Parts: sequence; structure tokens; C-alpha cells
Amino acid sequence: MSFPHSQSPSIAARSIGARVPRGDDPRLLTGRGQYLADIVLPGELHACFVRSSAAHARITRVTTDEARALDGVVAVWTGEDAAKFCEGIVGELEVEGCFATTMPLLARDIVRYVGEPVAVVVAESRYVAEDGCDLVDVDYEPLEPVLHPRSALEGGPSANEELPDNVALRGGKVLGDVEGAFNDAARVIEATFHSGRLSAGPMETRGVIASYDWTSRRLRLWTGSQMPHYIKYCLTAYLGFPENECEVLTPDTGGGFGQKAHIFPEEMLLPLLARELDRPVKWVEDRRENLMTATHAHEQFIDIAYAFDSDARATGVRIRATGDGGAYHQPPWSMGVEPWCTAMVTPTGVYDIPAADLTYEAAATNKTPIGAYRGVGYMAGTLVRECLMDDAARAFKLSPFDIRRRSVVREFPWTNPQGIVYDEGSWLQTIDELERMVDYPAFLERQAALRAEGRFIGLGLSVFVESSGESTAMGKAHDLGGIYHDTATVKMEPNGSVTVTIGLTTQGQGHRTTMAQVVADSLGVPLEAITVRAAESTTYGWGSGTVGSRGAVIAGGAVLRASNVIRTKLVALAASMLEADPADIDLVDGAAVVLGVPGSSVSIIDLATAVYFDQSAWPADFDPTLEATLAYDPARPIFSNGGHAMIVEVAPETGFVTVEKVFSVEDCGTVINPDIVEGQIRGGVVQGIGAALLERLVYDDSGQLVTTTLLDYHMPSMDFSPPFEIHHLETPSSHTPGGIKGMGESGLIAAPAAVLNAVNDALSHTGTVLHDIPITPEQVLRALRG
Amino acid sequence: MKSPVFAYAAPNTVAEACSLLADDEDAKLLAGGQSLVPLLALRLAAPTTLVDLRLVPALTGITHDQGVLRLGAMTTHRSIERSPLVQDVAPAIAEAAALIAHPQVRTRGTIGGAVAHADAAAEWPAVLLAMDGHVEVTGTGGSRSISAGDLFMGPFMTSLEPDEVITSVSLPIDGREIWVDEHQRRHGDYGLSILAMTYQLSDGLITDVRLAVAGATGSVTRAPEAEAALEGRAPADSNDAITALAAELSYTSDIHGSADYRRDITTTLFQRALRAAGERSGQA
Repeated sequence: MSFPHSQSPSIAARSIGARVPRGDDPRLLTGRGQYLADIVLPGELHACFVRSSAAHARITRVTTDEARALDGVVAVWTGEDAAKFCEGIVGELEVEGCFATTMPLLARDIVRYVGEPVAVVVAESRYVAEDGCDLVDVDYEPLEPVLHPRSALEGGPSANEELPDNVALRGGKVLGDVEGAFNDAARVIEATFHSGRLSAGPMETRGVIASYDWTSRRLRLWTGSQMPHYIKYCLTAYLGFPENECEVLTPDTGGGFGQKAHIFPEEMLLPLLARELDRPVKWVEDRRENLMTATHAHEQFIDIAYAFDSDARATGVRIRATGDGGAYHQPPWSMGVEPWCTAMVTPTGVYDIPAADLTYEAAATNKTPIGAYRGVGYMAGTLVRECLMDDAARAFKLSPFDIRRRSVVREFPWTNPQGIVYDEGSWLQTIDELERMVDYPAFLERQAALRAEGRFIGLGLSVFVESSGESTAMGKAHDLGGIYHDTATVKMEPNGSVTVTIGLTTQGQGHRTTMAQVVADSLGVPLEAITVRAAESTTYGWGSGTVGSRGAVIAGGAVLRASNVIRTKLVALAASMLEADPADIDLVDGAAVVLGVPGSSVSIIDLATAVYFDQSAWPADFDPTLEATLAYDPARPIFSNGGHAMIVEVAPETGFVTVEKVFSVEDCGTVINPDIVEGQIRGGVVQGIGAALLERLVYDDSGQLVTTTLLDYHMPSMDFSPPFEIHHLETPSSHTPGGIKGMGESGLIAAPAAVLNAVNDALSHTGTVLHDIPITPEQVLRALRG
Repeated sequence: MKSPVFAYAAPNTVAEACSLLADDEDAKLLAGGQSLVPLLALRLAAPTTLVDLRLVPALTGITHDQGVLRLGAMTTHRSIERSPLVQDVAPAIAEAAALIAHPQVRTRGTIGGAVAHADAAAEWPAVLLAMDGHVEVTGTGGSRSISAGDLFMGPFMTSLEPDEVITSVSLPIDGREIWVDEHQRRHGDYGLSILAMTYQLSDGLITDVRLAVAGATGSVTRAPEAEAALEGRAPADSNDAITALAAELSYTSDIHGSADYRRDITTTLFQRALRAAGERSGQA
């Protein structure tokens, strides 16, 4: 099926492709951002949550009398109070073999992870609210915690009785002659990997303010969400607030990375509290809560094996990906998306592997729910695929570039065994380009020379293909549900300036700049005349969320379609004023010009003024509406690709790993703004280095989270940010606006594999091969010491 | 992460501070707050009164007199790091200050606060032990001097009386070699292992060695067997001392490293110190 909102007009790139400075930077970098905590409403109350101290326990009693009696405490709610309004939020993944869970807004009867909200105290200040929390007494009768996903799937106690066998997700497919591939294999390369439990760790934690006016039934909800329209939908669906009186507002947001692309119990509770207490209620999460209770990410155990023929070509793959899902599905992404994508999408990657045996499963465990984090489903899958490629290179005594060239797809369009069609890509060129950038022979010489001095460097390679521009077509191509589209509004005013509103919220990605570049090229107006507003309020537009590397593609498409309506009117008016054929009019450098007739032009400002104030200039049947709102959803799935090569050094004294340099190749089609693309690469890669070397959420044997501060949960800081050399390949998409593709997740998707491979290369003389991330200094030191 | 209720006082004299401490047994001194304030926010500490020393002028200043470097208790790590006097008479001390956390923390955190806090993974206690430093303290009953060896009683424990205030830290500057080194995973992290060593070098031999370790052990500690094994040896002749250091200390395990790992990297810190001693001995 094809719909008009999938058609994107053509555009001539002028501003597109330029290194335009980010318009938000002066404001944000000088501390003038207005984040959620900066918003203070008159009469606001503060909420603080009593959170479960037990991983799994029956609640036998909750005593709130003392807290309620505390001066300054306005209300204390327990699970029973919340359940009067909402039984809970339902989560599942729309794939075969997924079983739904219902997450209560506040736990009733049973708690299922440490940090689960049990009660909420609302008080005149956050200080008093915390004092009140200390006075709430919860009696727990311990239940056995379920902490190991693979043993959980084999039976034993349940983590969540909605899933008695702990199976939250189980399914898979066998495609092609897998048995034949493995029977005939010259070599089988296999390993079991553990990809550690991560927090997206946005610098601004979550936060919510709810304000309700009973006279109008109007609810306003501020939340730093990546999916405000979805939140708004849930306010009506779960809580019954009238849709026409709900507004979700998104202030400046200090990072989301997928963590803020969920619906959380706190977001559903605060509107209820604000309504029942008739006061605005605010909750600003602290760091301990964020690490403990905002969704965790990425953790999986993965068995994977590749069959190779005697020419070192991969002929088959077997994978079993097991997610350690936590106690509930966190809507909308659920604990299923990680292992499902790892098993069903990533094992083939950029390689022509005809046979695949794919198994996905997610276990409910008594831990914080797993959710989306940048590169969701792709990071762990890319890690295991690319790491085994390097293992295979060592086994076949081939370079990491050569082993990949043996299997890489060279002809497009390409359909993989899963049935996903890739229209175009520079998969082989990526490998070639990285080899050139690294200067592989020179690296080998330096590695040997340093080894002789007792210094150990290694080179790691990782190449990827990434689904981008998350869309309805992308969902269908992957047998996933989900209908997506976003709108944009473009409005030109009498002096020729343009205001653009998009359906996406922005968390630092520079959408206001990139979208202005698209509009500038469509309407021929200078960037200074364009203001782009992200989805600061759901009053304007519709958006499916800032997720899945979709911002530039989807907002870009909607902006271009809406701009084109204005453009068509300006062209018609200019043609009438200049007595020319509309087909000969172009809008460029602030003017409408007649192609081939030098000197025949009219400024865009004069055109805009004429639309508003000079009816005599109008052509027949002219409609002066200089405002258009249109939707966009690409007709086909879009894939970007690229790769990273990293050089690391391991310290023989400590086992510390230092990334010396990162070489990145990125092909996201037409690049709107190289500075912004490179910023996304750097940020994502550094997050990937963090995932590979530092970050680890640790539970002890009783299910207590040990890493509850940033002293223990180590995130990469500036000194972990290595120098980069970045090369752009541009293989435009044949059907997106201007050929652009999304790339926001690519750095984190592929960087951990490059780090792991580089460390294994540095350790290659020891015989140790590591397959788990994060790599600990202790593992490295042990390898070096033999 | 908001602190519980507490009373706040900011006296102008040490005597006032002492009497405030004496009046309220759950009072706590605030001397920069870089450890205490996070503990308050996490509600791991709940003092009834905070006695802020920032307005006591007598507690700041750095002097060097008669072979003693005296650092007022409220001297910030950053001031020590950047002090031309310290850089001149004991550059290793300025460098040790720079190992502490990040500039923001060093700009508010103080040496007296850090010493009184006695964190097992902090730099100053190890430096004091290795240098045989002292703290001057004043209480309601008068003043006294406590040697580093008598001050540190265990993790977060000192021999200070509840009403006593550290007024200054004294470090002997007596020509002995000073070495302070640390393994941090990320710059500014608490040390996985911290090693401080002082010694005399004469005729290529190490004598009068004092060796202190923090970070890797449950509390800051001397290593007497390693010291004894090193006494009178050349830096290159130190295998016995290395073995002793690995054996005599009780290394800690946590998510950042096992006891075995901490033992291994403490050994490498010691080897670095000995290499440096060898180089100094070569230059002498």
C-alpha cells in the first residue's frame, strides 16, 4: 500500500550538507536551558516515592500514620489508593511468543524488584517528602528472588506470577538449510557472550510535573519524554482524562537515549495526585532512583555460532539470545525488544549468510525492568556477530578486513534470509575505507615493535547496518506491529520569516538546526529567518517519538512536505508577478528567480508581504494560507551503515584499557549537517566505550542493586573520549527527503564490538579471548599474567 | 537525595566550634563538605548540627618553618596543589593534592576535612602516615598534637575526641624522598590503590623507609614488613619487600576489583616507586 504521506518532494541541497553551527548551543552551553526542575508552579507540591527494599517479597503491612501526621505532608498513597484509579500499565512486544504483564502504579501485595514504588508521599517540599518516606513503614515477607535468566527459564520460583514459568518472550525461526551449513562447515566459530546491564544514564534524570484545573478539566503534564504524544494517549487510555483537555509539555531535556521513551508509573500517578489534591505536583528523580528504577538496558546472554566454508565464507548462523528482563514489560518497548532484535535481525548483519537458526527469549527476573537504550536490540547483536568475525579471522589467519570481505554483501537490493530488503548500502566500501584509514600494514609493524618493548596495542573492527527512520514500513519488514507517522507545521509570516513546528521532542540532537537547513533549501530563505520549535507541547502536531534513529528522516520528511506546500504557493505568486511559467521559478538566496532570465526576480519577503497585504498581485484562485501541516512516514525501511576501527592499549601494570584512536566510517545517505552527524558518532561511540570498559549495574545475590551512585556506576568522562577520525560515505536513500538516513544510534551499536575486538587483539599473544562486556581490568591483567 | 533536618552554625573561632561540638554529641564539623554533603543527601549521615568551619580565619594558611610544612586544616586541596611554597619545598605533596578527585572538589574540599573523615580510599591519610605527619587539634580541654600513626583507627575512624577540631596538619620536610602514586580507573575516581612512601637515599641504599597504602585495603595502613625488608637495600634489590607487601596487607574486594587484583596493582605501584627510587639514586 502506498499513501500520499510517504511521498517526499525533491529538494536541492544548498544549506543541506553545510556545517551550520547548532542554534541551541549558545543558550544551552551558557546555562540558559529551562529543564524540568527549573519550572516552578505556584503552590506546587513535591512527591517522593517509598521504594521496595526487597527484590521479591510479600507486603504484609504498610503503615503510613506517622508520615501522614508529619507537618508539611499533604498525602500518602499506597498501592490500594492508586489501584482505585488504574490497575496498572500493560506491556508486551507485538511478536509471536510474547506474554504481557501489568505493572501497577504502586506495588500491591507483592514487590518484584528493588526500587519498585510502594507508596508516594506528597509534601510541601522534597525535603519533607523524603522525611515522610522515612516514616512509612513497610513489612515484607521475603520471597525467593529470581536473578538468573537462563535458570529462571528452566523452572523454579516465579519472578512475577503473571508469568509462572518466567517466560516473558520465547520464539524463533529456522531459515534455510542450517543443519547442512553446519554439517558441511570447514570451521565452526562459536562462543557465549554476556552483554552487561546498563543504564542509559541521561545527565538530566526523569521528572514530571502535573497540574490540573477542575473548572476546565484541563490537565497539563510536563515530562522530559521522548514520546509525549504517546504519554498523552496513555493519560486518556489508562486514566480517563479527556483527550481534548490533556496537554503534555516537554521542556529542555538533558538526554534521553531511549530511557525517556517509555511510560512510567510515576507519569501516571502524578496527574491523579494533582487532580485529587487540587495542587500541582512535581517529582524530580534523583540519581539513585534513576540508576535503580528507570529502565535498565541491553543485558543479554547470547550463544552464537557461525559455520564457515573452507574459503572462510560464513554459510550459516545459530543464535540463542536470552534477555534478563526484569520484573515487568515496560511499555511500549518491553523486555522483548532486546533479545528479539538480537536474534531475529542482527546475526546476519552486512553478511550474505543464507541459513539462520534464530531463537529469542526473555526471562522475567526480580530486577528493574529492561527498556530501550540507544541501539536497542542492535548493540548486543552487533557485539556478538562482529566479535566472532574477529575470532574467525584469527582462526583462519586472515586480517579482520579480509574475513569480512569474504562474506559481505556486494549487490543491492539485497534480501536477507529473514526477508528484510536492503535497498542500498556501502557495506564493502566501509570495510575498504576503514582498512585505508587505519593503514593496517603500518599498524601491524607498530604493534610488533611495541610488543617487543612490553607494550600491548590492539586493533578492533566492527561494521554494522542499522535500521533507521523507524516507520510503519520498518515495522512491517520486521514482522513487528506499530504504525508511525509525524507531522510538521510550516508557517510563513508577512516579512518572510518561517516558523516550523515538528512532532518530535529533542534531547540535544540539534533538530532545530537540521530542520531549519531543510526548510532553508525548500523555501530559499536564510537560516536566520527560520525558527524551529520541537514538540514542546502536544497541542501542536503529532509525533511517534524521538526513537529509532528517526528524527532527521521523519521530521525532515514532514518538514519538507509542509514546506513544499508553501513553496508551491510562493512559486505560483512569483510566476504571476514575474509573468513567467511556474516551472521556471526557483527559490534561492532569499528570492524567487526565473531560471535563464538573469535579473528577473522578486524577494521572498516581497512575496510573503504580497500574500498577506496585496491581493492585486495574486494569480486567479490563489489561496493565501501560508501555513501547512503534513505528515510523513517513509514508504520503505531505511538502513544506514558504517563501521568503526579502534586502536587500544592495555596497561600491563593495571589491566586498564585506553582507547588510543577511533576511526569511524558512517553512511547515513545525504548528510544534512556533518558537525551534528559527527557529534552523534562521537557521543554514541563514547557511550559504547563506556559499555565495553566501564558501565555495569551490579546486583548482589539477594537482588540488591549495588551500583546506586555514579561513584559505583562508572560512566565515561572526558578523559575516556579518544581522538576520532571520521569519514563520510554518502549513499542516498532512493525514497527519503533528499536521500537522508538516520544514524543516531550507530555509535553505540557498533563501538563495543570494536573495543572488545581491539582488546582481544592486544591480548592475542596470551591465548585469552574475552567475550563479555564490560571488560574488567582484572580480566585483562589476568590474561597478561597468564 | 535531600538531607534530613539539621541545625547550622558558622562560628568565627575554634573555641566556639569546640563548645558547639561539646554541646551536641550528634553535631558534625563541616570542612568543605565534599564527602559529608553527599552522605547527608543519601541520608547515610544525619547529624543534628552542622558546625561549618569556613568562617574561622585561624584555620587557613600554609607555612614552612623549621623543617615543618604546616597546612591550616581548612586549606583546600586546590590551594595546596597550586601553592608556590608547597611546589617549592615538597613538590610531591602538590602532586598528591592533584590526584584528589576533580578541580571542583579540590576547590572546596580541605585537608583537615579529608584527614578527619579518614576515608580508606583517600590520599591524605596515606601521605600523613608515610611522612610521619601530625595533626594539631584543639578541644574544650585544650590543644594537643596527634601523630598520624595514632590518629587513624580504621575506616572513617580517628582518635579525635568528639569535641576536638583539627586546626592544622604538619608534615616534616627533612630531606627524605617523598613518593605518592595511585591507580585510578578514571581520572578523579577514588583510588583502587594508593601508595605513599618516604625514605632516605644514601650511597644508593634505601633507609628509614615508611610505606603506607590506602584504597586497596580496608583502612589506610603502614606496611612494616615491607619497610623492614627494604631497609638498607638498593632499589633494585627489593624482591623481598615486594613479596612482603603482597603478603602482609589485607586487601579488600568489591565490584571494582577483587583482593587479588588489588594486591597485584599495589605491587605494581610499589614497583613504580622503587623504579623511581632507582632513578633518584642514579641521579644522586
